[in-house]
Amino acid sequence: MTEATIATSQTSAGVVAKPNLVSADGKVQVLIAMQNIWKTYDMGAEKVHALHGVSFEVKRGEYLAITGPSGSGKSTLMNLIGCLDTPSQGDYWLNGKNVSEMDDDELARIRNQEVGFVFQTFNLLARATALHNVELPLIYGGIPSAKRHEMAKQALTEVDLVDRMMHRPNELSGGQRQRVAIARALVNHPSILLADEPTGALDTATSYDIMNLFEKLYEDGNTIILVTHERDIAARARRIISIRDGLIEKDEQIK
Amino acid sequence: MKLIEILKVALAAIWAHKLRSALTLLGMIVGVTAFVTVVSLIQGFNVYIDEKIAGIGAKSFSIQRFNPFEDFKDTDTIAAAQRRNKELTLDDYEYLKERATLIAKLGAKARGTPSQIKRNDQVLDDVFVVGATANTSDIENRNIENGRFFSDTEADGAARVAYIGADIATKLFPAGNPIGGEIDIRGLPYRVLGVEAVKGTVFGIPQDSFVVIPLKTYQLDFGPLIRQRSLYFTATSKTDQGFSDAVEEARFLMRARRKLGSNEKDNFGIVTPDAITGLRDRIFGSVFIVAIAVPGIALIVGAIVIMNIMLVSVTERTKEIGIRKSLGARQRDILKQFLFESATMATIGGAVGVFIAWIVGKVVTQVFFQTYLSVGAVVIAIAVAGGFGIMAGLFPAWKAARLDPIEALRAET
Ligand SMILES: Nc1ncnc2c1ncn2[C@@H]1O[C@H](COP(=O)(O)OP(=O)(O)O)[C@@H](O)[C@H]1O
Ligand SMILES: [Mg+2]
Repeated sequence: MTEATIATSQTSAGVVAKPNLVSADGKVQVLIAMQNIWKTYDMGAEKVHALHGVSFEVKRGEYLAITGPSGSGKSTLMNLIGCLDTPSQGDYWLNGKNVSEMDDDELARIRNQEVGFVFQTFNLLARATALHNVELPLIYGGIPSAKRHEMAKQALTEVDLVDRMMHRPNELSGGQRQRVAIARALVNHPSILLADEPTGALDTATSYDIMNLFEKLYEDGNTIILVTHERDIAARARRIISIRDGLIEKDEQIK
Repeated sequence: MKLIEILKVALAAIWAHKLRSALTLLGMIVGVTAFVTVVSLIQGFNVYIDEKIAGIGAKSFSIQRFNPFEDFKDTDTIAAAQRRNKELTLDDYEYLKERATLIAKLGAKARGTPSQIKRNDQVLDDVFVVGATANTSDIENRNIENGRFFSDTEADGAARVAYIGADIATKLFPAGNPIGGEIDIRGLPYRVLGVEAVKGTVFGIPQDSFVVIPLKTYQLDFGPLIRQRSLYFTATSKTDQGFSDAVEEARFLMRARRKLGSNEKDNFGIVTPDAITGLRDRIFGSVFIVAIAVPGIALIVGAIVIMNIMLVSVTERTKEIGIRKSLGARQRDILKQFLFESATMATIGGAVGVFIAWIVGKVVTQVFFQTYLSVGAVVIAIAVAGGFGIMAGLFPAWKAARLDPIEALRAET
């Protein structure tokens, strides 16, 4: 047992078992299970608790928005979900596996296979073409180049950018760059699409284009988790988790 | 991640910073150029000397007034040798010839005199004229193109006959056959008996501009065989195995003739091919150390520069590392990427160095003497450069691989 689980057992005053993630037909339905997650930054003199005791579940096919004021811990949570970071305490089950116990290589594999990231600032490689940017996850996934090309082109077609695939990011508009980033996030057919303020750097019209794209991806069956501090953007999702000061304030199903 | 993918990434990164990469590699290029150049010069020179010795006849040695390897070390040894060593004489020659049992042929020569040579209105200045006995032609393995060397009879009779270099032949006899023709050396007429095959140039010095005349004729026409016309002997042994015995016998006979006590130094010099190759090896031993040390230092400096630039590059590309990690790059993928980049860069540096050295070698071959760019030197140079690249890349690559993905993503660039 890890230190984290001991701490969890103490706070919940009971034995923490693997959550019941599997439905009657044997398919994993609960994609994400967060159990009493803490994230503490040790700033030397003081400790910053970015998250203190967050628990929730996300099922396959959900469209979830995480919202809250700046500094409330949204990005911290997002990075934990995407396995870019590990919790200080608590258990995180992704697709039936306990992420908290994984080593660096396994986390890298999760980031490669299970998660697709979309960032506020796009995070594209400036020197690479749109096509090469989309191919990156496939390169690390060990997909041979012919297949890779095919898949990347397909993903760019889905975001309607295949005619710009040989362009570099600086030759594309903000909305186009974000669509390249979305194509890159989707190219590996991940379990979850994670987007941290995906419209934060875009004007309103372009924001709506991107949100329409998310809507379409949701309808195609993708699981989407969207972080935003904008109410109207959050309102496009089916469920909204509001966090404040590192705690879940509200978890509501809308629509 | 496959090696070919990593290589592509590395090449793209190097290409993206062409100028910086080139400047980074300067040290590496200088080191490899120096190494390969020196090695090919030495190898070329070795081959040249070996050929030269083979040309003289590997199994011949000379007896002369001074021993250049012992007596010419510094001004003191020169002064001492000049007091101690007497000129060799023709009587010495006869004495050795009578008594030596292990020597096959013993020849005598006198150091040459730069002289003016004429034929009709053709004038050549400063042509080296030497005197020699007839048998030196065999001892020195002379390659006769045309005609013949002078005979014992001609030599003993002090005939005015000459054996000439190819250059003299073409200049003085541009139209016709030189054999039997007459040339004028310092105002006296000589008949040409033979012409030597073309030897070419060594260090830009032509080897085909010389005249050999009989020793006795030389003595009569040029003066006594002392000082600038100093007499010396060349000899071959009867058998290859008996070579060093022949040398020792000659030394023993000379010491006996000069009545040297057992604790006295030789007051003459014996030069063997071993002494020449030995000297060469001594000189090149130290040249070789320089050949290794100078490029070695350049390579180390080059490696430090590469390491520095790689560290800068890791810092500059923190964001890129974060992006790659967020997309599933493992620590070892990032490690390999940066290691490959520095190794590839260094190897390119090595290859450029080899290329420059190749050009230098070509130029040297054109102007001075044949150089040899050996495959071994090329492989070693490029491998060492690549190895230094890997070493230089280790620390930066390790730093890059260990970056925290979140921290890296948060970086500005
Ligand atoms: N690397 C870090 N070091 C220290 N404190 C951090 C770090 N990352 C985030 N925080 C703190 O954690 C809290 C939550 O941050 P974040 O998750 O980025 O908020 P949000 O995305 O909701 O604006 C903030 O108080 C922030 O200052
Ligand atoms: Mg944030």
